[in-house]
Amino acid sequence: MATVTKQARKKIWALLALGTFTGLLLLPLFLSFPTGASGETAPAASPAKPVEKSRDVWYKNEGPVMGAPAPKTTDGPKDYPRYNFESRVLLWVGLQQHLYYGSFVLAVPIFCMIVEYLGVITKDKALSRKYDQLAYDFVKISLTAYSLTALLGGIVIFTFLTLYPTFFTYLSSIFRPVMATYALLFIAESGTLYIYYYGWDKMREGFLKWVHVSMSVILNVIGTVLMMLANSWIAFMQSPAGVDAEGRYLGNIWHVIHTTLWNPINVHRLLGNMAFGGGVVAAYAAYRFLTAKTDEERAHYDWMGYVAMFIGVCFLIPLPFAGYWLMREVYAYRQQMGITLMGGLLAWLFIIQAVMIGALFLTANYYLWQGMERMRGAERYQKYIKYMVFVLITCFIVWLTPHTIVMTPAELKAMGGQQHPVLGNYGVMSAKNGAINTIITTTVLSFIMYQRANKIPTVRWAPLGNAFLVGLFAMAFINIIWLAIYGYYIPANVRVGLSVPQVASTLSCLFIGVILNSFMLRGAKDTGPIAWGQISVRSQYALIMLATAFTWMMGLMGYIRSSVRLFWHVNEIMRDNSPWAFTHTIGFGANMISFNVLFFWVTILFVFWLGSLGIKKAPVTVPAGQKVPLPASSH
Amino acid sequence: MAERASMADQGTQVSTGMKIVFIVGSLIVAALYFTWLDWALMNMQGLDYFYMFRK
Repeated sequence: MATVTKQARKKIWALLALGTFTGLLLLPLFLSFPTGASGETAPAASPAKPVEKSRDVWYKNEGPVMGAPAPKTTDGPKDYPRYNFESRVLLWVGLQQHLYYGSFVLAVPIFCMIVEYLGVITKDKALSRKYDQLAYDFVKISLTAYSLTALLGGIVIFTFLTLYPTFFTYLSSIFRPVMATYALLFIAESGTLYIYYYGWDKMREGFLKWVHVSMSVILNVIGTVLMMLANSWIAFMQSPAGVDAEGRYLGNIWHVIHTTLWNPINVHRLLGNMAFGGGVVAAYAAYRFLTAKTDEERAHYDWMGYVAMFIGVCFLIPLPFAGYWLMREVYAYRQQMGITLMGGLLAWLFIIQAVMIGALFLTANYYLWQGMERMRGAERYQKYIKYMVFVLITCFIVWLTPHTIVMTPAELKAMGGQQHPVLGNYGVMSAKNGAINTIITTTVLSFIMYQRANKIPTVRWAPLGNAFLVGLFAMAFINIIWLAIYGYYIPANVRVGLSVPQVASTLSCLFIGVILNSFMLRGAKDTGPIAWGQISVRSQYALIMLATAFTWMMGLMGYIRSSVRLFWHVNEIMRDNSPWAFTHTIGFGANMISFNVLFFWVTILFVFWLGSLGIKKAPVTVPAGQKVPLPASSH
Repeated sequence: MAERASMADQGTQVSTGMKIVFIVGSLIVAALYFTWLDWALMNMQGLDYFYMFRK
């Protein structure tokens, strides 16, 4: 009888675990296939009674009526029981906190997966260990936050049930199979996460390490599906489908999930979560850097902050494009909704958002320029920074110029109209598209400068490559600005299409520029190691600023997206008849967002502190001034 | 200074004339690429990139 070695047994168990998780992942699909959702228990089929059919509000096809109409609520304890406080505000706080934590615990395992994979494929053992340690540090941060996310989810459900019972009952009658799937996936996510974390040491080497990396893939697939399912609820509330005009469910759960705004929201949220997660981890690293007692600790947390910021900014760059897609789809769905968002009631919130986005890019650039200080040889590029600052500030000012402002009649008369004769020209989308694309392209240029700060390309075609980079960026800037100016001279229906080549110009710089630069830096000559830890304190405050701006902007955009439904629970289907079916003032909204941001940061600091109590492993520290691996191919 | 100069040479030497040729060539290639990109992406949306010049 063959002896089963200990290693083989481990392999078998690992494969069994992996199979179980894959099975768990697929289980909800099998469960949801045979059953459709039904708002009410469907009566037994009877040949004498014809099935009532109705038309889908979005897909326009006919389907059997399988649910009750959306309830017509009235202001009273039956539909809107309450404490002596605005129910909507209570729910707002609960949901926002749940979203912050949910985003964080969705994003961090994705970082973890990327960094752990880098560790596995790196041939250098020492570098591999450092990557592995970093991935472990990432997941450790998210673990405590995970429990809090679940707790906040419970609070949100109880708040919904107690304060908006009629609406919640209707929503859950439509989404019954989705909610069941959500719950099952949540269990699968929890199990996978805990085994992934606690199995780290056991699955450290060889084949088992690959199993461990595979588990991180499964973990992230589950996490992403969970997010998409939750997104289907808010997408349904904003752009319902799968129901008729009375809100009756028509038997096709895919139509209910796959509303017109679902995919734009999915993409926007995924990118946003990643950028937010990167910001929070970077802020954590910055905090640890600022409180570090030794050079080794400073070097480690400087590196960690850089990696987190790098990943966050990678997802920040495409974020405005995803936002643009979402807005385009909103306009395509209901033009009035788009106007309310960007040209009406909520337009000033978009100006605040523009300020935040501009601040985010300025801060990211500032951090990169500060980071160049720790590299010998970076002085070559210092002289260009002042020009980049000029470009960024100019574009930032254009980007935040409002189209119109609230004025008294006297002010209106003094200005000669609703728009300023000169500055008014910068308050239109043509100018703003040019400005934001220039800002992003400049950020890409900053990153390329950072990539090559301590390198001298040695490939034979380096002069040609450098010339091509100059040509690419110069023509991209010219093209973006040309398209912005061109937009003033053509009708709106043609002008709106110019945003696509503008975005493509920016993305060309991002992909062609970064890839070309990376190839040029293969085998490049080092002008000196990166002196990790030897960076200004200001740079760490920049990281904290980045994270705070991300948090504030998430709160703001969530508020805008939710407010645009105005007095509807489910747009044009179920009316909100509570006393709070009005849009808050901008000041009140901003205060609430600030409160949520502050609350989140206070609690996450507590989570970080709690996480530090259970540290079992000492971090693999890097002596100050020593080279540390980076995800970018340059270092 | 000498070290700085060696950094600036980017590891390989070419004459100033060749550098100018490379840059001009790159600018032309990039200009053609972006013009094509503008036209193709507008065309893809059913829009006329050269609208102003035709009207």
